[in-house]
Order: sequence, then structure tokens, then C-alpha cells
Amino acid sequence: MKRKVAIIGGGQTRHAARRHDVNQVELVNEAVRAALADAKMTIDEIDAVLLGNMEFFEGCHMTDCWLADGIGAYGKPGLKITTGGTVGATIVCAGAHHVASGLFDKVLCIGFEKQEEGDTGAILSGVAHPLFGRSMAGAAVGYFAMMGSSYMAAWGAKEEHSAMVAVKARQNARKNRYAHLKLDIGIQDVLNSRMLAYPIRMLDMCPASNGACAMILSDEKTARDRCARPVWIRAMDTAHNEQFEISWRDVLDRRPKFSTTCASRIYRKLGVADPAAYFDVFEVYEPATWAELQWYEDLGLCAPGQGFRLVEEGKTGIDGPMPVNPSGGVLSTNCIGASAMLRVWEAALQIRGDAGGHQVPKEVRRALTTGYGGTNWTVMTALSRDPED
Amino acid sequence: MSHESAEQELIRIPITVDVPYRFAAGNYMSRFLIELRDNGKFFGIRCPSCGRVQLPPRIVCAPCHVRNEEWVELGLEGTLTAFTVMYLPLTDPTTGEPHEPPFTYGSVRLDGADSNLDHIVHLGDEYDSAWVGMRVRVVLRPREERIGDLSDIIHFEPLKGQEKPGK
Repeated sequence: MKRKVAIIGGGQTRHAARRHDVNQVELVNEAVRAALADAKMTIDEIDAVLLGNMEFFEGCHMTDCWLADGIGAYGKPGLKITTGGTVGATIVCAGAHHVASGLFDKVLCIGFEKQEEGDTGAILSGVAHPLFGRSMAGAAVGYFAMMGSSYMAAWGAKEEHSAMVAVKARQNARKNRYAHLKLDIGIQDVLNSRMLAYPIRMLDMCPASNGACAMILSDEKTARDRCARPVWIRAMDTAHNEQFEISWRDVLDRRPKFSTTCASRIYRKLGVADPAAYFDVFEVYEPATWAELQWYEDLGLCAPGQGFRLVEEGKTGIDGPMPVNPSGGVLSTNCIGASAMLRVWEAALQIRGDAGGHQVPKEVRRALTTGYGGTNWTVMTALSRDPED
Repeated sequence: MSHESAEQELIRIPITVDVPYRFAAGNYMSRFLIELRDNGKFFGIRCPSCGRVQLPPRIVCAPCHVRNEEWVELGLEGTLTAFTVMYLPLTDPTTGEPHEPPFTYGSVRLDGADSNLDHIVHLGDEYDSAWVGMRVRVVLRPREERIGDLSDIIHFEPLKGQEKPGK
């Protein structure tokens, strides 16, 4: 990177199933004000504003236009970006590029979704090739259900392993005051919950949340002058796949895919030999339980087919040696346009020591985050307490 | 207008957007759909560089970035690589109506292809009897009902005489 990039502030809304009290402008403005307050900055100091969400989920395209007042973009340069579910992380990546280029010093990054205002499943079908497979009406739940059937057949995992991930997520969420699904559940509660699409039950799947997240990125001088505990973006990576070729539905597909491609490139950039030892905490984008198990494997935290053993052994619990999603993850809060940014922001809170009830009980120097979009994209971000580490 | 009220009334306005589209299938997909409609056949396309047979046929092999030219006729049987039993009445966006749950659908690797085709797997009352690795055959509408669309496929059905591998 040409210049160092720091996260010097951020904020999020309390994510909820219903936010009838705010329109989209008001919702986003809550997160923007929280981020500015956290950074002790005013909007006048911001050089550019980047905005992301799922296109057309709320029935308005050109969201940067109708939200211009609420996001503080009046008179300023900026972009709206849409990359599916990974957009929150793409916004951070684009913001980091703006700062690293030397052209902008302070960039406001925003992700949001007011999910209740539209029909998620119907719009999500628009991601599929119009003539090939759009009619299966499976939506995200169908996709991850197919992944689950493939995973169980390939490796001998059981529905109980999916339930272990679901329990870990919601019990972590109970410690996170911003999370949507704070549920005091056990394995049996998950196994008793309604089957949506075999093998995915209600509690195996993410919610639909309304929420927003905002982060402020800056150059090194601004970070040193203005921020007590900046968090440094050390590396990022993103990769595209062919949509109808390589996906997670067939877990035995050994071809390079978005997740493994980005992981190997980002590890190479940083010289990571053993990611479980190098990073102290992980925030991954898991719309369903099976996706988290696959992330363990694709990130190289364990061998292929062993992901379910990690959660079975408690290794990825909040007090485990490789904590994954102490925030509760996407399984507990999914305002899609914000979800991938929340992974980066939650990882930054861990490094700052500001995660509160869900702070992992060990020293956190480095964190890795992933995004996920149904187009089979990811944006991975590596954060550190130290700009050289 | 008074700013004092015990509860602010919150208004939500329902709006339905009904937008017609007309997608061009393009050169490659058109030929694929015409072969399906007129001859009841499935064609993939082979990359001259890596050799994989892609379905649906398309102009460029993405990893190799070379133009595809070689059409390959695929079998009408294949293997189920992943499946689910859907219990939710999700709307089929191509019809505006839901498929009636529960229904089984999956990803099928047609013999000769390196890509999958997703469609309904017809299991009748035994909708939860699918397994990864099941062999299936495509069932098409009669010629006079086919229009050149994936809905020319009614469903996949399992080949007879196979048993789910023991646990």
C-alpha cells in the first residue's frame, strides 16, 4: 500500500427486526453520527463518503442520491458500491484505497440495509442467471441447505454440528448489545426448530435485520494526531468466481474458489504460515451454519473436512484458541449491506479492547475478517494493532 | 401542529413494483435452448484450453479467457451432487407463484458435463429420500409443449433399482 490506512472510528445501530420508527435516511444517519462521535470528528472534516447496500432491496436504486443528506455526502466526492452480501467489506476496501492513494485523508464508509421494507427472497432471485436456475425459488436458505447436504455426505458431519455453530453464535450475541438475535438456546432448541429447507432449520439460518454501520478511515498522520487507538488495515483481497460454476454447494469441488483464492493471496502478502496462530480473532461472514464450517477449512484453520471437529471441540468459542465470530456473526445480525462491514468493525473493536461483553479474553493483536456475497465474492481484510505487524 | 404526543404515529406505505423484462439469450444460450426445444437434447461447450465442458454453453471460458467453439452433446442422466427439501412456499420469480412445498430440488451433474444444472427432483411422497450421489434422469415435456426455456424440463426422476448407501 502506498500509504498506511487506519480505522479511527466507527459506529453501528442496534440491529432489529423492526425499525418502523425510521426511514432509510434516518437509520443511516444514526450510524453516521455514532461514527463521527466515536472519532471525535465533524462531517466537515470528511473528504469522501462511500455507501453500500444490496441493490434494490429497498426499492430505491441510486441510494447515494436519496440518502445524500443522511450520509453527510452533500457537496463531497463519493461512490455507491454494490457487490452483494460482501458490499460492507468492499466499501472498507474502497475507502482504504482512497486513503492509500494519497488523494484523500479521511473517508467515511457506510453500509446499511432496511430489510423489512422489501421482499428479500424475490429480489435475491435476481442474482441468478435469468435463464438458468432462477426458477428454483430456493433463495439463500435453499443454497445453504444444498451446501449442508453436500457437507454431511462428504465428511460425515451431523445436524448436531450445525446446531453447535448456531448455539455459539447466539450465546455470543447475548454479550453484544447491538446484536439482533440474542438467544439463550441449546443444541436441542436448534434441533427442535422448524425445518426451512433440509437440513437447515430456523435456528441454523441468519435473520433479516434492519441496521447500519459506519467507519472512518484515515491516513497515518491523522490517526496519530486524532486517535488514541487506531486499528491498521494491513492487507485486503477480493476475488470473483463464475457464478454458476464454482460455489459452496459442492464442498468436494477442489477448483480454486473465491474463499481459498483470497485466503492464499492475503496470507502471501503478509507472510502467514499458520493463520490460526497468526490471527488472534476471526470475524467471518456466515449466512448459515454450514458456511462457518466451510470458512474454517477455506481459511486453513483446519484440514478440509475437519471444520465440524473444530466447533465440536470448542476451539472456535469466544474463549477458545481461535475465536470465530465473538460478535455473534451474521447468524445473529444480518442487515445485509452492513453485515460485511460489521465483521471489520467488530474485529477493530476486539483489537481496540472495546468489544465490551463479547471481548475475547486474550490479547488481540491481529484479526482477519471475511465477507460473502451470493455471487460468490469475498473481501478479506487483515487488521492489526501495529502498522508494521 | 403540536409536537407533543404520547406516541408518534408511524406510517408505512405499501408499493408493488411490477417490471417486465425481456432477456436476450445470446448466441450460445439460444442454440442450447433451441436444441432442448426442438430435439430434446442438452449441449455443453468444451474449452479448447482446459477441456472442461461448461453448462450452459457460453462464449468464453472464464479462467482461461479463450473463446469456446466445441459443442458437446450431454447425456440425459446424471448424478445428484447436492440437494434440499424445501418446506417454504417461496415465490418462483419466473411465474410469480410458489412451488408447493415440500418439494425436493438439487444440483445435477449431467453425464459429460463439468457443470451442474439445478432442477426439481421428483420423489413423490418420499420427498426426503434423496441422497448425494443418487443417479437421476431428466424428464422433458412433450415436444409440442416445449418453448425453449428450462421449464421444458419437468423434473429429474431417480433411476430405478438403486439404494441409498448404508449409514
